[in-house]
Amino acid sequence: MRSINRGLRSFRRHPLRNLVVVLLLFVCLTFSLSMLAVKLAADSQVEEVKQSVGNYAEIRVSSDYQMAVFEEELSQEESERAAQARTMSDEEMLEQMTRFLVPEDLADLFSQQSEIVTYDKVLETRISLDDIENTQMETMVSMRERGPQGEAPTALSSSSFTFEGNTDGSSVSDFMLGNKVLVEGSFYAYQDYLDANPVVLMEKTLAEENELEVGDTVTAKISGESGRDADVELTIVGIYESVEAEQQAEGSNTETFNPMGDTFYAPLSVVQELNSTPGYVELGSYYFDSVDSTGALQQAFDAEIADGDTYELATDYSDYEAIADPLLKVGKTSMIGLAGALGACALIILLAMAIIIGGRTRELGVLKAIGATDRQVIAQYAVEVVCICLVAIVLATGVTALISQSVGDWLLSGNQAAETTDTGEEGMVAGGPSQFMGGPMGGGSNLYKEGGRFSVASSEDQSASLDVVYQGSMLLYGILILLGISLLGMVVPLIWITRLRPARVLSME
Amino acid sequence: MHDLLEVKDISKTFKAKAGDVTAVDNVNLSARKGEVTVIVGPSGSGKTTLLYLIGSLEEPDEGGIEVFGEDICLSGADLIQFRRKRVGFVFQFFNLITALTALENVTLPMDLADGSSRGQHERAVELLARMGIDGRLQKAKANKMSGGEKQRVAIARALANDPDIILADEPTGNLDTATGKVVVDILVELARRDGKCVIIVTHDESILEAADWAYHMQDGRLEGIDIKEGSSP
Ligand SMILES: Nc1ncnc2c1ncn2[C@@H]1O[C@H](COP(=O)(O)OP(=O)(O)O)[C@@H](O)[C@H]1O
Ligand SMILES: [Mg+2]
Repeated sequence: MRSINRGLRSFRRHPLRNLVVVLLLFVCLTFSLSMLAVKLAADSQVEEVKQSVGNYAEIRVSSDYQMAVFEEELSQEESERAAQARTMSDEEMLEQMTRFLVPEDLADLFSQQSEIVTYDKVLETRISLDDIENTQMETMVSMRERGPQGEAPTALSSSSFTFEGNTDGSSVSDFMLGNKVLVEGSFYAYQDYLDANPVVLMEKTLAEENELEVGDTVTAKISGESGRDADVELTIVGIYESVEAEQQAEGSNTETFNPMGDTFYAPLSVVQELNSTPGYVELGSYYFDSVDSTGALQQAFDAEIADGDTYELATDYSDYEAIADPLLKVGKTSMIGLAGALGACALIILLAMAIIIGGRTRELGVLKAIGATDRQVIAQYAVEVVCICLVAIVLATGVTALISQSVGDWLLSGNQAAETTDTGEEGMVAGGPSQFMGGPMGGGSNLYKEGGRFSVASSEDQSASLDVVYQGSMLLYGILILLGISLLGMVVPLIWITRLRPARVLSME
Repeated sequence: MHDLLEVKDISKTFKAKAGDVTAVDNVNLSARKGEVTVIVGPSGSGKTTLLYLIGSLEEPDEGGIEVFGEDICLSGADLIQFRRKRVGFVFQFFNLITALTALENVTLPMDLADGSSRGQHERAVELLARMGIDGRLQKAKANKMSGGEKQRVAIARALANDPDIILADEPTGNLDTATGKVVVDILVELARRDGKCVIIVTHDESILEAADWAYHMQDGRLEGIDIKEGSSP
């Protein structure tokens, strides 16, 4: 206790010296803590991003396989194929229809992987609805004709509609992304998929044009190539509206632009029936726990599901990289900064030690000559150092709380600026495969998890923010840092104190 | 024999690059409680070294020191307690802690030895008053004081834990003659009235007047001087 008191008194006795040391320490410590805060924030945010961006995969027929099939078909004579088609049995017919589809049970099997959090199965096809007119599409078609290359796309027939089926209406990607919203009625549910209830979601304008409301029915024609014709009555359970049409039109993906609203959404089992491909899906889509699991899932897929090279597991973590890269760089930069600042702290502490002890050799000798033990002397000086450090810590933690967010933003903006300039081309390349993905994700390059925090819709928004959450633990880190450093800084003076022979200094003038 | 401080055949050699220096060479000395022992000798003759040997600040190469029947050169000797309770040093350059007040300087040895307690402050005030350091001067920083004041504070500090032995190294070396005389008188009084064993080393031969026992030191060797003739009572 007495040594502590002496240390405290000694601390109070040298205000100017202490001020200088405290200020120096404070600056370095503030820098260290800011860097640490930014580093921690960047790390935790990267972890968060891993769980919300790029943690998406799709199982589909591989492009290699598709190419192989196309080439084979091209080599066959037209007449040969026609003859083949006439003689096909029902099973052969199904095989022909489903050659670019994925067996549903295969999609189900893969969903058992422990890393997978949610999954869905999707089938998209075009179906004829005899009793509905798509007047807007005609307008659209005539508008296109006005263009220089005015040529009506023949595929856009006014009685043919896109049907998209999945297991649950509310998890259709367009609705999840907010590109479309349900304005009337309700979504079809998972149970509707299980029971194959003939229900659909219909676009609002299209419904109005045709004077249809929730509860009305539309008749779909199944005109399979086998020649079996059948009518299916579909009940409208919900009406949706496209939003962000402007934004979508601006974006690179005009494919998702659907002002005509020719898309119907229905339970997967219903669309399978309409398409005459029961048990097959276009793709299985999976959200898994973290980007980190990508490799493991790919391995599992190759080992258990792949079946030669017919199917592939498509993943896309370019978005993750785009978002996480600046954060990772910030993390790295702040680590370097932290190391530098800690070094500076150590130097200052050593300097402080030199000032505190070095200037008082005689005092040290006197203390020893009048019977102070090494422990008493060390304790006294340690208290002085601790006091200085404590003042610096309190100041530094306070100021760090104020500035660390700005430091983080500043580091992040620096790294993002670098990012946009040097990856412009990469972005284009990255757009390639994800466009190929098509399917439920609307051809967009962004794959998001439901409720994901990084639900950015366009590439402009594709930036990370850094929340430097300032926690009380910073104070603890500050104390630990200084404690560590001052212990280190104490080693030299400690040796010096124990070695000093009072006789050497007492007769000095 | 318990009032006798005996230095027996003590030697101390410093190893230096330029060659070894035998600062204290086979020295025998005895000093008694209640008496002033003065050692005179030129600069570099080994006086300070001898004094530090007695005060346990240096370790002898050979020989022993018995302080009132207790050998302090034995390996088991508690040197910390010896420095705290048995000896008090007075130096040429005072060696006060300059950032502390006079009062704090005097309290320090008590604080180191026994921890803070009420009695210490009173004792420090009393000791300083006895040395003629009164009132406001007691609260003055040591570095603001005159040489004579500093040396009197230093003596008060040496007395703090009421030691038997006072070791003074050139106590007047940094003082003018009049002030030096005051300091020597105080030291003499400590022997006569308080029964301390006072040892003064100095190159100032005039201090011999205060001595009960005197020695001359030259090149590390000690020789007794007969001073009793005529002057002793
Ligand atoms: N620590 C030391 N290292 C080397 N030589 C020393 C040391 N202390 C004293 N000496 C030498 O020992 C001799 C005696 O020194 P000292 O006891 O200080 O003499 P005095 O006090 O009589 O002037 C001198 O020659 C001095 O240089
Ligand atoms: Mg000397």
